[in-house]
Amino acid sequence: MKFRFGVEGDLTAPSDDRLAVGDPRVVDFLAKLARKLLAPAVARQHPELGSLGYFLRPAELKRSVERMTARQDALVFPRGNVFHLPPANVDTIFVYSWAISALAGNHNVVRISSRSAGAAEVILDSMNAVLADSDPVIGRTQRMVTYGYDDAVTAALSKWCDLRVIWGGDAAVDTIRKQPLRPSARDLTFPDRTSWAVLSVPGWRAADPAARKAAVVGFANDAYWFDQAACSSPRTVFLVGADGDTSEVRSEFLDLLLGVVDQRGWTVDAAMAVEKRVNAYGLAATGAATALDFPDNRVTAVTLAGTELAPRRWIGAGAFPFAEVGSLIDLVPAMNRQDQTVSHFGFTPAELRAFATELGGRGVDRIVPFGSALTFGAIWDGYDLPSEFTRLTTLQP
Amino acid sequence: MSVFTLPQAEKEAVLLAQLSELTEHHRANCEPYDRILAASGFTKAESIADLPWLPVRLFKTLDLKSIPDDEVFKVLTSSGTTGDVSKIYLDKAAAAEQQKRLAATVQTAIGPKRLPMILVDTKAMLKDRRSFSARGAGVLGMSTFGRDHVWALDMDGHVDVEALRGFLAKHGDQPFLIFGFTFLVWLHLYEVALEHKLDLSNGILIHSGGWKKLIDQAVSPEEFRARLAGVGLTRVHNYYGMVEQIGTIFLEGPDGGALYCPDFADVIIRDPETWAELPPGKPGLIEVISTLPTSYPGHVLLTEDLGVVHGIDDGAWPGKRFSVLGRLPRAEARGCSDTYRSAA
Repeated sequence: MKFRFGVEGDLTAPSDDRLAVGDPRVVDFLAKLARKLLAPAVARQHPELGSLGYFLRPAELKRSVERMTARQDALVFPRGNVFHLPPANVDTIFVYSWAISALAGNHNVVRISSRSAGAAEVILDSMNAVLADSDPVIGRTQRMVTYGYDDAVTAALSKWCDLRVIWGGDAAVDTIRKQPLRPSARDLTFPDRTSWAVLSVPGWRAADPAARKAAVVGFANDAYWFDQAACSSPRTVFLVGADGDTSEVRSEFLDLLLGVVDQRGWTVDAAMAVEKRVNAYGLAATGAATALDFPDNRVTAVTLAGTELAPRRWIGAGAFPFAEVGSLIDLVPAMNRQDQTVSHFGFTPAELRAFATELGGRGVDRIVPFGSALTFGAIWDGYDLPSEFTRLTTLQP
Repeated sequence: MSVFTLPQAEKEAVLLAQLSELTEHHRANCEPYDRILAASGFTKAESIADLPWLPVRLFKTLDLKSIPDDEVFKVLTSSGTTGDVSKIYLDKAAAAEQQKRLAATVQTAIGPKRLPMILVDTKAMLKDRRSFSARGAGVLGMSTFGRDHVWALDMDGHVDVEALRGFLAKHGDQPFLIFGFTFLVWLHLYEVALEHKLDLSNGILIHSGGWKKLIDQAVSPEEFRARLAGVGLTRVHNYYGMVEQIGTIFLEGPDGGALYCPDFADVIIRDPETWAELPPGKPGLIEVISTLPTSYPGHVLLTEDLGVVHGIDDGAWPGKRFSVLGRLPRAEARGCSDTYRSAA
């Protein structure tokens, strides 16, 4: 086992250290970390760390703590020991999950994938750099480790924790769940998810060129940052409310998109381009797609035969199925529990609210504007994370 | 009796007509294939390079066949490294034809007679059901071109020097055939022949299976040939082929150093950015073309192998001379789900 952060030693040994919800020593550490991640050199190289740094700013942390402790009907305490198993491929998730839990005053152990690279290494380096100037309790209560597929370690930590946080999709959840928890403990799971984009055709037509451009810039970030493979990355684009031909809206959207991709210098390599062909041809072969366009390796456009045929599996980086639908309400039957984020452009707040109400929680946990799909929030996958990471004591004098 | 006879221009004229007809045949008999072509907007090809290609991996994700279920005579499978398997459906006619064409191709190199044969492999491999489909089928397929076979490796995978000595004492003064996977030939035949001073100078070696492991050991194709010549083995033919175009192999010519296309097959090198055909000298992705796939739409396939055409109509045999340079690495993406690849 390799310790990536925190004091080395027995992870499951009893500890005398006590942290409070919103513990100032934790707040101090996170604020220092935020400063490091917001340094221009870091943000330039890893734009996703900028959003993370923003999330950890002192003002943001203060708001989070206030929300955690706001209730009058109970006293709020840390949940206890939390064991996090973040995904290997999204470099920043482990920090969000851990930071909220640390802010809630928990003792945390985070398993860092041995496949972690790039941004994750930058984060760990920054954390270790900040640790020297921080209260030693941080290193004793917050530990991050890398170990192979060692069931014994996972089993021991599963017995140790009060809450186990499992990211990484259905298979990861099923695998980890084979390790029993203490009777009082429970799991917080993040299974496979699918996310969509909805674009109002009247809204698009009413928008001026600058607004259209800005929308596509946001959408491009949402789609390309994690190779369109994050749970929140939009995949199928639903063109909503068309009366007549939408081909000019779609081609303007795709032209702008390719322009942004060009400007950013993003590339899609040959292997990915082949992967997209395989998957797009698969959609055509089954009749789910009626037209395929490969204008450039970086953008693949697929015309779907119907909204219910929108694929829930990954097609590849820069692959955009399109389907038309009369209204957001008409889209509701095509949504299910696996669907996480719907990012939108061109709708009125009333239309969006009616959509959410009609969905009734049976699918879709987040409805956010283009450009915010990947912005992590304390409410995620339908869970209020600060409340998951704390426990309540009622007191009647 | 060579199947390497047609100059490029002549070959393209013949193949374009046959392949266009095959394309229509498969569209009429394989609905998923027709849907793919319709969705891609394909109508008609003016040249071989215009013909619509399928990514070879599609045979791992889809069941593609142009024959009714009750005419399926054989289903070939390839085992991939990630556990997914290509499924290739043959009817009786296609199965017979691929065997006939393979024989004609191999006989160009070895002559029409069956020769005594060394198989650089172990018989034990035939019993391992998991590795059988890929390696075993290759060895068994090739073994039909020889007689009086000897296995170079014993059941434990060790070199059986005594068996080799016995074979050479009996057949070594006449032409004989050697077949094996490139890496096994290097590791188990070349090094053993060198150490035990075995005389292989009457041997004709046919080998395949990729250069990756040898290149990892810093052995280039040129060095492979040179070192084998050192143990007397100068008639050496590498070949390139895949189960998705069974019966078609691209064979190294007597001049060495490049693969040639039989009269019923061709290759195109494509630019992986623009997907346009690349001229000789420019490396890209290999597209393999063959008139043999009549029972499934595998007549024009884009492989995930990188290659380069060295020249056209300028070698020992007519047509394109090319080399395989390696494999395209598998696409890797980030994502929340650690398991997206198995779901894809």
